[in-house]
Amino acid sequence: MSSLQPSQPALTDTGSGQYTGRGEAFPAKAGNGPASPVLAPHQAVGKNRRKRRLVDDLKAYAFLAPYLSVFILFTLVPVGFGIYVSLHKWSTTLGNQGFAGLSNYSTLIEGQGYYGSQFYQAMSNTVLFVIISVPLLWAIPTGLAYAVFRSPAKGLWRILFFYPSVFSVTAFGSAWSLLLATNGGSVNSILHTDIHWLTGVPMAWLSIDLATIWATMGFSFIIMYAAVTQVPRIILEAAEIDGARPFARFRYVILPLLRRASIVVIIIETIASFNLFAQDQIMTGGGPGYDTTTISMNIYNQAFSSFNIGGATAAAFLLAIVLAVIAFIQLRVSRRRA
Amino acid sequence: MASVTTSISGQPGKPKLPRRRLMTRRSLSRLPTLAILTVVGLIMLFPTVWVLSTAFNNNGGIATGNILPTKPSLYNFREILNVVSSGEPVLRWLLNSIGVSIVAAIGVALIDSLAAFALARLQFRGSKVVFYVVVSSLMVPFIAVLLPQYLWFHWLGLLNSYGALILPYTANAFGVFLLYQFFLGIPRELQEATTVDGAGPFVMWYRLFVPLSIGITATLGLLTFMNVYNDYFWPLIATSTPNMRTVTVGLEIVAIGQYQTNFGALMALTVISVIPMLVVFVFAQRRLVEGIAMSGLAGV
Repeated sequence: MSSLQPSQPALTDTGSGQYTGRGEAFPAKAGNGPASPVLAPHQAVGKNRRKRRLVDDLKAYAFLAPYLSVFILFTLVPVGFGIYVSLHKWSTTLGNQGFAGLSNYSTLIEGQGYYGSQFYQAMSNTVLFVIISVPLLWAIPTGLAYAVFRSPAKGLWRILFFYPSVFSVTAFGSAWSLLLATNGGSVNSILHTDIHWLTGVPMAWLSIDLATIWATMGFSFIIMYAAVTQVPRIILEAAEIDGARPFARFRYVILPLLRRASIVVIIIETIASFNLFAQDQIMTGGGPGYDTTTISMNIYNQAFSSFNIGGATAAAFLLAIVLAVIAFIQLRVSRRRA
Repeated sequence: MASVTTSISGQPGKPKLPRRRLMTRRSLSRLPTLAILTVVGLIMLFPTVWVLSTAFNNNGGIATGNILPTKPSLYNFREILNVVSSGEPVLRWLLNSIGVSIVAAIGVALIDSLAAFALARLQFRGSKVVFYVVVSSLMVPFIAVLLPQYLWFHWLGLLNSYGALILPYTANAFGVFLLYQFFLGIPRELQEATTVDGAGPFVMWYRLFVPLSIGITATLGLLTFMNVYNDYFWPLIATSTPNMRTVTVGLEIVAIGQYQTNFGALMALTVISVIPMLVVFVFAQRRLVEGIAMSGLAGV
């Protein structure tokens, strides 16, 4: 229940409602209380409490041990190791080739070399994709959520809009490659056209956007639909009786109440869009030329085609910093307007 | 939990507006909405219909402009599933994917439930620190972890093994968070009833918190299954031999390799790769949907 209340402060509230299991009849600082004439039992109690506290700590960490160990082993240590690698000339196959300082980073930032110059193009390609896809991946699910909310057969619509989420990124990538292939593709054969959906810009971007929206909007749709159903019915009825048309009700009553869910969706979709990789790889291979090469592809190619994993790791960290800054700004902007 | 169930799946109560004229206007005003939904719904169906039609059509692998297969047959499936004719161990990929996803889902559910219980219900030194470590690890973008993980598994000599395909998914901060919030909502009175019996924290977790959270833990397991099954980038770089590939990666290899132009076989493989997720979807759609709705509502 409480997990559904978006406004509750539970996220930072570790102190409330906790089980102490520690004889709460004793005051918190029994050991420092006024001096007692009988010293021995008092000290015994203090010792006992300290021992019990240690036991409680150990018990709690026993519960946390599996999580903390996999977290340390498979996230924390690798990232630390990654930072070390990014400061070295490091080959994917041969390993450490010597200390490089910040040169992996400066090469990318200054746009030097093959991957350095590609880095900027890949970055601007990715930003272009983000700018096109994120508003659509918010607006379409939001509009559909309201439409389904107003319509009968909600279950049917929900399945129709959500079911492509079961397609993996390679599954929908290959499906859309079939649909949009220039020769023998279904869309061209239905329309009797010869459009280069995947091999020309800007069509290639349009195709990737279309496939991505088709396959991934179900997730955002579910979030937005859940948020729409939580809008108090009484407010909607009041607006309807006041004569607000359906669109006006959507624009002025529902939309402002979807802020929180919208922020979640926009942040999730921004990060997902920045990570664009597999559908692009299958549908266009980053082409024509490098016109649809994304930053993830740049990183992947650098690590596994040129075997410069030191530089690739540096590029990944730069992208991570960019993503963190963007998420931070998005959160800040949304909080200020609240 | 209950409120999400009803609000997502339940029909909202019909507002009581007695006047007939209002009712007519209301249903008329829904026509444009229905028209839009129908058009979008058909667009959503269109690609899948073509995938199925191409997969079941024995037409030399070429896609046609017809909705129904002109020569319905299972030929494409036989060709792609046959290791000799396709040269790819497709069944092995499928089993790899399913096995890895199930193990990861069970592991995540167990590990996260234990950790969430400690954070929500036990008092210990350093709890704040642990909590903020979990929260902040939610913010780390996957691309920043992926290559370091590759390097780390390379160093450990674990690349191209089932360990590599499973272990990185086990540290799932999102799940800890989801269960943590659920556990905070469990009334203390219930918990105190068990402490009176002198039960330790493990018994309390096992006897009280696990049964109460079985639904949301299953949802977490399903979401993990879906994520792991559909993941692509990590299994792509973590595996190198055909027998260790997952079906997502195998499909990509086939799609940009020898079957690039054999749409029939490629779509048959696409259909095969989706079947396990489709089964999950059919049997647990409501739970998946609830989980996603909850992750959205609890996310910020």
